[in-house]
Amino acid sequence: MSLDVLAFWAFAVVLVGAALAVVLSKNLFHSVLWLALALTGTAGIFLMLDAEFIAGVQVLLYAGGVVTVVVFAIVVTERLVGTKLSHTSRNVFRGALVATAFLLLVFRWITLTPLPLEKVAVTGDLTKAIGASVLTRYILPFELLAVILLVALLGASYFARPED
Amino acid sequence: MGLQAYLILSAVIFSIGLFGVMTRRNTVGILLGIELMLNAVNINLVAFARFNADVAGMVLTVFAICITVAEVSLGLALVILLFRTRRTALADHIDWLKG
Amino acid sequence: MSAAPDLLVLTALLLPAGAFLLLAVVTPLRRSGRLGALVSVAAMLASFAAAVMAWRAFGAAEEPITRLWTWLPQQQSALASVGVLADEQSTVMLLLVTLVALLVQVYSLGYLADEPAPALGRYYMYQSLFAFSMMGLVLAPNFLQLFVCWELVGVCSYLLIGFWYRKASAARAAVKAFWTTKLGDVGLLIGIVLLWRLTGTFDFAELKTLATAGTIPVAGLGVITFCVYLGAAGKSAQFPLHIWLPDAMEGPTPVSALIHAATMVTAGVYLLTRTAFLFALTPDVLHIVAWVGAFTALMAAVLACVQSDIKRVLAYSTVSQLGYMMTAIGAGFASAGFLHLLTHGIFKALLFLGAGAVIHAVGTNDITRMGGLAKRMPQTAIVFIIGTLSLAGIPLFAGFASKEEVLGAVWAGGLTVPFFMLLTGAFLTAFYMLRVVILAFYGSDRPPAPVEHDAHGHGPAHDAPAVMTLPLWVLALAAMAIGIYFTLHHVEPEFVSPAWLTPVAVSVATAGILLAWLTYQRRTINEEQLASMFGPIRRAALAGFWVDDAFLFVYRLGVLAFSKVIGWTDRYLVDGVVNAVSAWTVMAGGGLRRVQTGRVQDYVVGVAVGVILLLWWLGGAQ
Repeated sequence: MSLDVLAFWAFAVVLVGAALAVVLSKNLFHSVLWLALALTGTAGIFLMLDAEFIAGVQVLLYAGGVVTVVVFAIVVTERLVGTKLSHTSRNVFRGALVATAFLLLVFRWITLTPLPLEKVAVTGDLTKAIGASVLTRYILPFELLAVILLVALLGASYFARPED
Repeated sequence: MGLQAYLILSAVIFSIGLFGVMTRRNTVGILLGIELMLNAVNINLVAFARFNADVAGMVLTVFAICITVAEVSLGLALVILLFRTRRTALADHIDWLKG
Repeated sequence: MSAAPDLLVLTALLLPAGAFLLLAVVTPLRRSGRLGALVSVAAMLASFAAAVMAWRAFGAAEEPITRLWTWLPQQQSALASVGVLADEQSTVMLLLVTLVALLVQVYSLGYLADEPAPALGRYYMYQSLFAFSMMGLVLAPNFLQLFVCWELVGVCSYLLIGFWYRKASAARAAVKAFWTTKLGDVGLLIGIVLLWRLTGTFDFAELKTLATAGTIPVAGLGVITFCVYLGAAGKSAQFPLHIWLPDAMEGPTPVSALIHAATMVTAGVYLLTRTAFLFALTPDVLHIVAWVGAFTALMAAVLACVQSDIKRVLAYSTVSQLGYMMTAIGAGFASAGFLHLLTHGIFKALLFLGAGAVIHAVGTNDITRMGGLAKRMPQTAIVFIIGTLSLAGIPLFAGFASKEEVLGAVWAGGLTVPFFMLLTGAFLTAFYMLRVVILAFYGSDRPPAPVEHDAHGHGPAHDAPAVMTLPLWVLALAAMAIGIYFTLHHVEPEFVSPAWLTPVAVSVATAGILLAWLTYQRRTINEEQLASMFGPIRRAALAGFWVDDAFLFVYRLGVLAFSKVIGWTDRYLVDGVVNAVSAWTVMAGGGLRRVQTGRVQDYVVGVAVGVILLLWWLGGAQ
């Protein structure tokens, strides 16, 4: 059992466990915290894939920003705390069925497809490559992204404006 | 670990997120499920980018994360607005477009 | 006259049509009343002149002359054509039609002088249309044109009977006339179509050629001729389709004189005369024609005896005389029936116009309220008596020769029972006509007529103005001329009549006159006792032998019951299907609507299921 495999499994377990906890928790606030853990786990997976930059972005934006925003939203709206699962979730059986069916089909598809086993050797700095690529080949989406963020900012502030 | 392992992991997270979207009563809870699904997609993208030595996948991941952030903030703004006007944040109470 | 007869009859036909179109289109002319009336009368006068010239011009020619225009073209020959056929029968009939129409139109100028101008214009418009349609019928060279004009004549009858449309009884009578004749017309149409299917032609001349050559298959011809007879029975008021004629008296009296005495009702007789060559091939149908005709003649004569309305007496008398004509045709001698048609047209029109003069002067139709009018209206009395004697069949008067010929034809045809029915009818005819004459014009020991002044409210009853008496005198003189001519120049009929026929017929008529004189004038016989002698018959006659009630019963039973069934079917079956479909649609909608829960998560589930199906379907294999 190499370190690679061990690390992968460790992160995977954390990730999946945290994800399950997100959707099955009876306390919404706990869900958010579990989500933070899941996002961190994802960052670990990114590290396994030699995507340090992405991992950093993930932790910064997701685990830091998104979770914070969600916490604020929870504080402003109602907080639902229940004692049984049915207080926080509905139609669990239906959801489980659909999700499982979906998973099995995708699983079948994945296993039937021939996929590479070894990572390709990487030369040079991935982060540098990402940066260069963003600013040359993908410059247009990059700028549009800025516009999107602006629009989202405006939209969100308009929606959440004080009542008048 | 081969690509397959990462893809399976991604599928699992996606399904869990889908389950969360379909079952959570609280709107914010649904948004959390959506977050998980997007995360799974990101894992997928990065894995493919790594195993095919194509940096485009990673660039796409950066973009996806940014857009997700924008979407989450807007979504939560909507939830807050909804809560203000209708005094509820529960998805099953929001059925005014019932046929 | 050097002009060809066909052109002349065509002119005679189209002149009233022109007047009609003028009055129909040029509204101010119609609304002006008298001016429109004069246009119509002028056209009619010209038409009469053309008819006289045509008759004289045809006297020289031997063969029938036709002038046709293609109506419905076909490959070899026209499927249907319109035009005129000038032969002996049509030219003589045209003469009668134009003469009576002209006299009636002139007479109406006086009779309807009190009508508002627009109504008068409308009246003359209808009169012109009628004249055109009747002439179109008379001159029709084929069954199609005949049928079209047949229906047109029916429409004009409806329009003219219901001329005073605001009067409910007149409107009802018009509808009744139309419906009853329509019943017969259906038969006529069926007969025409079947005949075409059998022979391939509508044309009279062609059919006659086929008939004389013996190439018409006789099988199925009986049905055809019977159907054609049905049409004639409707128009010519044979039993049981006679019910419309007495009610048709609701129309103005000149209309009754024209349409219900001389022209329209004779269209049926004319049709049978025209197609006699077809009927000759089906003796069974002729048998029916004769028996129904004789029965009608007798029944109507009985009914006429109990009427107190002068016009209804004349109406039933017309029905009766039409029966005479039909019996003669049924005996196989259509010319005898045709001759009676011509003379009857003259003197019946005379009687109606005379009655109109009386009604115009006295203001009522009821003969029991009249009396002693001979002193005050001498001219009217004279012409009315001339008409009565013609109708009774007294020698030297118009009806004598034709009636005798009818009787002779029936006897020669071997129909003894119908013969005696007709003879009885002759007796009754004389009786009821004299009854009317005595009650209206004489009756010296009755109290004077309570209606001392005429309908116009100025002075006691007097003879009608010249515009009305002139036609009366023309008709009276025509009746006398025809009567004297036929009495002196006895025309040889096609058959041999027994020597005792003339004396018997005349004495029967005289007996009827005598009985009436004794009962009503001399009061030797008490009329009440006479009536009670025939108690049950009298009661039945007063109820019209319940024919109207029978029709009503059948209508209620048949038509209304049938319509109830149809109504039920429509409401519950047809509507039921539609309602069921719509109800199911609503239910389905209500059910399907529940898919739209309004909850986002349910829609997400839907999307997910769709994706799952897609994944399943795409298989996962490359």
